[in-house]
Amino acid sequence: MNLFGVLDINSSALTAERQRAEVTASNMANAETTRTPSGGPYKKQLVVFGTERPGRGKFALTLSRFGDLHARGVKVEQVVQDKAPAVRRYEPGHPDADADGYVSFPDINPVEEMVNLMGAAQAYQLNVSAVQATKAMISETIQILT
Amino acid sequence: MGNTISGLPQIDWGNVQLDVRQPSSDRSEFFQTLEGAMDKVQEVQSGADQQVASLLQGNGQDLHSAMVAVEKADLSFQLMMQVRNKIVQAYQTISQMQF
Repeated sequence: MNLFGVLDINSSALTAERQRAEVTASNMANAETTRTPSGGPYKKQLVVFGTERPGRGKFALTLSRFGDLHARGVKVEQVVQDKAPAVRRYEPGHPDADADGYVSFPDINPVEEMVNLMGAAQAYQLNVSAVQATKAMISETIQILT
Repeated sequence: MGNTISGLPQIDWGNVQLDVRQPSSDRSEFFQTLEGAMDKVQEVQSGADQQVASLLQGNGQDLHSAMVAVEKADLSFQLMMQVRNKIVQAYQTISQMQF
């Protein structure tokens, strides 16, 4: 793998962290949602990360075709729904209340989601720093020639 | 005056044959490699171009993918430029040789 392969791995991490931030934002936005297309309250979404072979796509400059077998990118393998049951709150006036006057709300703790979002943002920043470091490495390597 | 310098052997120019070679018709391997590298640079640049266009058109393109693609294009171009500078420098060195 050449140094551009490192950029591919960094890029995959940026994509994964962006998706994590998206899912977290979705959870925060829907913390009080009681209606979904599939019926019932919104279910908290969780991202599951998995490793990925780095890109052999059109942007992998194939000057060196021998990939390093140990280098792996990351990808969002799946987005799963939290198994925790909905939280029932007594609100008889709510249109989605059941016969006993209880409304099912998603079991989402905004503080927890905020911490997740901060984690995603920090990880994103970390990987942007890694991109810059890789860029500097490539630039300096090119400077050997001058 | 007119004497050869003692200690230096007389060179017999009659036996020296200049090895004149015809330039081969096919391009040398080095230039083929260079052309291949330039094609790759072109490829990376058009890829970056597409990604930026897609980003500006709002096709749901990842911002960072476009940025990384542009950086790759920039670095590939810099590398190609440095190689080109090196070749031109070598050419100039040879063309300025004094005989």
